[in-house]
Amino acid sequence: MSNFIYLTATPEALIASMLPPLEFGAYLSTGTKKRNKGQAIFFEVDLDKIEKLIDIESLNRRCVPKADGRPKSSVYLSVYKVLELIPLSALKSLYLTTDTGHTLELKKTQYNTSREVLGKLHLFQELCPVTPLVASELTPSAFVKRLTDGSIPIVLPKLFFVELILGELASNPLTGSVEQLPYSNIGHLRDCLEILKGEYEKHMKTVQRVYSGSLLYRTIESGFYVGAKDEVLFYPYPSLTELENLNYEFFRSI
Amino acid sequence: MVSLPGASPFEVAAIWTVLVIAFFGLAYAMFLRRQVMACDKGTEKMQDVWDGIRLGANAYLKRQLRTIVPLIFVFTVILFLSVYVVPPTAESKLRFVGYSDESLKLIIGFGRAVAFIMGAVFSLLVGQFGMRMAVQANVRVASASRRSFAEALKIAYRAGTVTGMLTDGLGLLGGTLIFIIFGVASPDTLLGFGFGGTLLALFMRVGGGIYTKAADVGADLVGKVEAGLPEDDERNAAVIADLVGDNVGDCAGMAADIFESYEVTIVSTLILGVVLFTQTHELSWIIFPLLVRGIGVLSSIVGTYLVKGNKNDKSNNALKAINKGFYSSAAISITAFGILSYFYLNDWRSFLSVVVGILLAIVLDEITKHFTDGHYHPVKDIAKNSKTGSATLILKGLSYGFEIAVWQTLVIAITIFASVMIYYGQPIVYVLYGVAMTGIGMLTLTGNNVAMDAFGPIADNANGIGELSHLDKDARKIMDSLDATGNTTKAITKGVAIGSAVIAAVALFGSFITDVSKVQIQMGFDKSAQLIETGIRISVPMVFIGLLIGGTIPFLFSSLTINAVTRAAAQIVEEVRRQFRIPGIIERTVKPDYQRAVDICTVSAQRELVPLALIAVLSPILIGALLGVEALGGFLAGVILSGQLLAVFMAGAGGAWDNAKKMIEDGLYGGKGSEAHHAAVVGDTVGDPLKDTAGPALNPMIKVINLVSLLAAPVIIAYQKPGQASVGMFITGAICFVIIVGAITFSKRGGFKKEVFET
Repeated sequence: MSNFIYLTATPEALIASMLPPLEFGAYLSTGTKKRNKGQAIFFEVDLDKIEKLIDIESLNRRCVPKADGRPKSSVYLSVYKVLELIPLSALKSLYLTTDTGHTLELKKTQYNTSREVLGKLHLFQELCPVTPLVASELTPSAFVKRLTDGSIPIVLPKLFFVELILGELASNPLTGSVEQLPYSNIGHLRDCLEILKGEYEKHMKTVQRVYSGSLLYRTIESGFYVGAKDEVLFYPYPSLTELENLNYEFFRSI
Repeated sequence: MVSLPGASPFEVAAIWTVLVIAFFGLAYAMFLRRQVMACDKGTEKMQDVWDGIRLGANAYLKRQLRTIVPLIFVFTVILFLSVYVVPPTAESKLRFVGYSDESLKLIIGFGRAVAFIMGAVFSLLVGQFGMRMAVQANVRVASASRRSFAEALKIAYRAGTVTGMLTDGLGLLGGTLIFIIFGVASPDTLLGFGFGGTLLALFMRVGGGIYTKAADVGADLVGKVEAGLPEDDERNAAVIADLVGDNVGDCAGMAADIFESYEVTIVSTLILGVVLFTQTHELSWIIFPLLVRGIGVLSSIVGTYLVKGNKNDKSNNALKAINKGFYSSAAISITAFGILSYFYLNDWRSFLSVVVGILLAIVLDEITKHFTDGHYHPVKDIAKNSKTGSATLILKGLSYGFEIAVWQTLVIAITIFASVMIYYGQPIVYVLYGVAMTGIGMLTLTGNNVAMDAFGPIADNANGIGELSHLDKDARKIMDSLDATGNTTKAITKGVAIGSAVIAAVALFGSFITDVSKVQIQMGFDKSAQLIETGIRISVPMVFIGLLIGGTIPFLFSSLTINAVTRAAAQIVEEVRRQFRIPGIIERTVKPDYQRAVDICTVSAQRELVPLALIAVLSPILIGALLGVEALGGFLAGVILSGQLLAVFMAGAGGAWDNAKKMIEDGLYGGKGSEAHHAAVVGDTVGDPLKDTAGPALNPMIKVINLVSLLAAPVIIAYQKPGQASVGMFITGAICFVIIVGAITFSKRGGFKKEVFET
């Protein structure tokens, strides 16, 4: 049995496991005894590229099959400041797991900034290392750059986030239809977006300080982003039609 | 023909043809059954899951039979003896000329008792056989879904059609047989036939409704909400009970319900037809409705056989194929009715009444769709209110539920008005006959309607088997699509069932007035004291009291059935929680004990049958005995009005909440897990026992009360002369009152002693 290394987003942790990604996702969301439930979002990490960062000897000693021969589910290698230390090149696929244990794999791509549309508003759910919900008039690449390049007092070493749908609010925060939006405090969201539209110096506005720990997978706009400064990895999220064909079980459970 | 003196050769041939059509409908059902049974049952795993459903269903049916058979015996004896209290009618003496009074009593008493058994057995057969067919079909549909959409659709719909044709065939057979034997005396025995079918339908509806929702709510509350398991997860101990419940409620219950409406409309039409025959000496008043029914059976056979999926069609549009069959049947029926009216009746009034009935079915269907289908504004509006929480969602649902009751009742009022216009200037009996013919028209396509309804649980169960046996993605997609179509067809047929129940009840109400008057004439009442002359005067305090009490009965019934569901669901919740604590169940290394959840639901459902049946049977006797026959008429009016409004309200609100939740689960407002979804789940859970237990149980309840009133009215007239107190009647009323109070107490407490389930 080989070992896998995973970087989970919430809580931020580096975990070794003998379970392959789909089983690891089910384990994280529903537990060994399946008495638990909760979403999981995690990357698979290329062990070869982080060998110098972890104690391989300890890993090999601890991550071994259980006495009854079952694979070891998880060995925590590190918590806190994990994303900061892992090089982007070590990140492999991103996995999303529903609270019923169905997992979807998203493949890594290099982000193409030329496709970004300027002048639209965005809603970003930050997932790691901090987790506020932020409205911004910055494109995803500009958002990463601004928060990680040290140009403002608040600086993060790396940032992992997802863009959520805004519908008509992206261009018309005041009167745009909110028919399909699931957010609970729409009035506040409109206010935040309106402030961004009106004030030229303001590029970001916190909509919600505390992350509920549960992401509505149907409200993902473009996909997941992870990066620092000018380097951005993009994990495109399929359309619902594509998703239905790609992973029917996942589609049914969201 | 001995039973029909004066019948023309065409009329004699027509009657026998109708009988042959009834057998033909049954033969077609057996032919389809053989087709379905010849299909394969899939893998070992699929059959393993299916076996659990089959055994659960069998256990329920056996237990139900044990509860019902003694009651059938008791009522058979009562019906036989009833002729010794009230002598047979003048028509019976006409039919059996030359027989002594004692022989005549024996013939009519025996006929009424046998007709009651026949009605009960036919109703039981439709429910039980239909449910067994559905159980046999679901695994075959799941297996066929691995091959093609068209094959899966064909098996599911044809299995549903077996129940549909049983309903058609047995309903037509019973009515026609009684008519052939008893001729103009048939009203004396038809009441027994109608009562048997209706009483059994009440048992099947109440039992099925409680079972299905106890299992559904219980399984969802622990499995989905608490443990976060997906729908139909094998670790949920209530999953098999839930799947069995779909068959018990939507197949057995609904089929028996529609069967009794089908039966009762022909009973009331024939009763009114005989009255008109005695006045006009034209047999067409009786023959035409039977021929209309015969044509309906034939057109349903053609229409249902047309339902096929196109092998090249990738859209998986089952509803399109089903609608094609339905509208083909409707077109064939209307054309044939027109031809029959032209050549046989030379009178378009009956034809118009039948067409009004078909139109009524279509309009009610459209109203139901408008208020409960996700494509229209009301459900979208309810779903939208989920964004502000469960309270606003529930309030919106209540608001639309009340509104649908208004529109449906207005449409029924317009239908009755249409009958008044069609028979304008004629005595009231003609108008009532027109209403009864409207009911006949409305239920013309019963074969299609029941097939559409039974299709729902078959597709639902097939999907459950697919989930539990981990079938591949393509098969699951096909079953998801069939399941979604099944939800729509179930909702549509619910609307038809309620509408037809009301029309049947109004027709029976008409029969009540004419029958009571007939007995009053027979007993030498003054013309001024006859009900047909006085009408039912709500300005008379006793009548108004009857009206008020009648209005409360559907509320009492609903309260008790919802209470029973809540109690049984709580027991299921405890049981599933207990089993989750057993090591290995959650890890899938130990199989849950599905049988215990099945037992809890079965016992809970059967426990309520007797007290609720007693309330339905004894309440009209109580009112009639204490307040008199006119007050009993007021009581009936109250039951019909509040029962109709409440049934439509509950079905409408429940259906709308259900579909609002489905819209959100399909991705609206964030989909599953969103705040909107949580609110919608609350709405759906509240609506479940309303739309699937309490609401549907009111249909047969209204008719049981009507038929008991029809049976009891002559006794009341005989023993309670106007203006005179009767000690016997007072004692009868007091006994009924005590039994009803006991039944309510029994039902509210969940029995006089607690059921103990061994652990």
